[in-house]
Amino acid sequence: MADSPTPAVDTGTPGRIRRSSVSQTRKKKASTIPIGIVVFALIVVVGILFAADQANLAFFWFTGTVFGYILQKARFCFTASLRDPYLTGGTSLTKAVLTAFAVTSLGFWAIQYAAASAGLPIPGQSFVAPINVHTAVGGVLFGIGMVISGGCASGTLMRVGEGFMMQMLSIAFFVVGSVIGAAHFGWWMENVIVHGRSIHMAEIFGWFGALVVQLGTIALLWIAADKFAKAKQGAAAH
Amino acid sequence: MQEQTLDCLGEACPVPLVKTQKALEDLAVGDVLIVQIDHSCAMKNVPEWAREAGHNVEIEEVDDGEWEIVIEKAK
Amino acid sequence: MLKKLSDAIGKNDYYKIWLKDAWPYVTGAVLLSVFQIGTLAVTGNPWGVSAAFANWGAWIIEAFGGSVEKWYYFSSDGAIAVLERGFLRDPATVRNLGLIAGALFSVLIASAFKIKKIKTKKQVVAAILGGLLMGYGARIGFGCNIGALYSAIGAFSLSGWVFAVFIFAGAIIGSKLLVKVFM
Repeated sequence: MADSPTPAVDTGTPGRIRRSSVSQTRKKKASTIPIGIVVFALIVVVGILFAADQANLAFFWFTGTVFGYILQKARFCFTASLRDPYLTGGTSLTKAVLTAFAVTSLGFWAIQYAAASAGLPIPGQSFVAPINVHTAVGGVLFGIGMVISGGCASGTLMRVGEGFMMQMLSIAFFVVGSVIGAAHFGWWMENVIVHGRSIHMAEIFGWFGALVVQLGTIALLWIAADKFAKAKQGAAAH
Repeated sequence: MQEQTLDCLGEACPVPLVKTQKALEDLAVGDVLIVQIDHSCAMKNVPEWAREAGHNVEIEEVDDGEWEIVIEKAK
Repeated sequence: MLKKLSDAIGKNDYYKIWLKDAWPYVTGAVLLSVFQIGTLAVTGNPWGVSAAFANWGAWIIEAFGGSVEKWYYFSSDGAIAVLERGFLRDPATVRNLGLIAGALFSVLIASAFKIKKIKTKKQVVAAILGGLLMGYGARIGFGCNIGALYSAIGAFSLSGWVFAVFIFAGAIIGSKLLVKVFM
């Protein structure tokens, strides 16, 4: 999809903008590349230890580190993708998240369709959750929480790794909130969730229809996000 | 020509960007805003927004995990 | 040797592109998708993050002599088995720890690590309140931005799209709150 040909971070031409104050650049400390290499080695060692315990734990460990690396490197933030259109008018992360939805859908579709055709249980079925009032309440609470604390679950973990004390605190209370939620889960189950329905899109549209509807929806949202940002930018210019 | 410094050290997204947007509104064309940040995501989204809004932008890495974004209001 | 290796890495042209500078968002989107698909193919389940936090809470309660046996949430055979195996044998927990380690590696190798202290009391309140709301919301909503949104939509669950609409609404309320109260 359309991506600007310019590098992700263009530092501009230093010194082009006249500034009266002196640049705050302090004498650069020694680079932390050596510590990075040590951490890399530790990640590998921990992975080997996990593999010695249970092979699947090593898989989870390594994919976790890769997810963390990708999220940090690309500054990928699900919170920003849902917050920025309203707050700042920017939609570049929204478009990137939609792109991720599209690519992931293609891969998931292939895996699920292959399993369904072979008469096997569909992988990922446990993530097809019932829909009812709890979806709305959970979504709104989660949406408020992620914006004020500056990161959702994955983003908060990533920022803990980056050295944010604030996010370390919010992880602690994420755990507390999860416990309260888990404690109330029985009530929600009995009164709300049980009346909801889990719907896999293939049930409504068929397997090929589901793929078409999904990718079509994503494409329309992507165009809407693109036009929205341009309209906002245009409005700001006048 | 005026120059203003905005201290966003220790602030997580979206605070640096929102503060930058507000601060720039009050400046005149040609004025310079220096935003100090230590949030790696803001180091990407603040310059991105400012460029799309048509301003001149430079990023300086002043220390490990600390940047100064120099924005010259262009319109 | 470590210093020589570090210098060699730091001087390499590809260091700047792959390890130092931020990547375009779309690169992140495609790479995350590749590993999402790999995760589904290998483990039979997509990526999830927040369910592990409830387990952490259960272990903390157990460490203080409490019990979650009678809780409906932890009553399934699967949940009981996970809690019995413990912290470092819970795959979801291990993946979350890996995520922190991966992000730490990313900032260290880019020479951009900095401990960011909490600056104001407002940040403390925002972190506590935000954490609580996310924790509660994720439990009753069947996951976070990853499990109930990204993975659910990827798995063609209608719940993912419904959840998206309401997180978006929540994000608008949160933004207003943030600008008026926490900034």
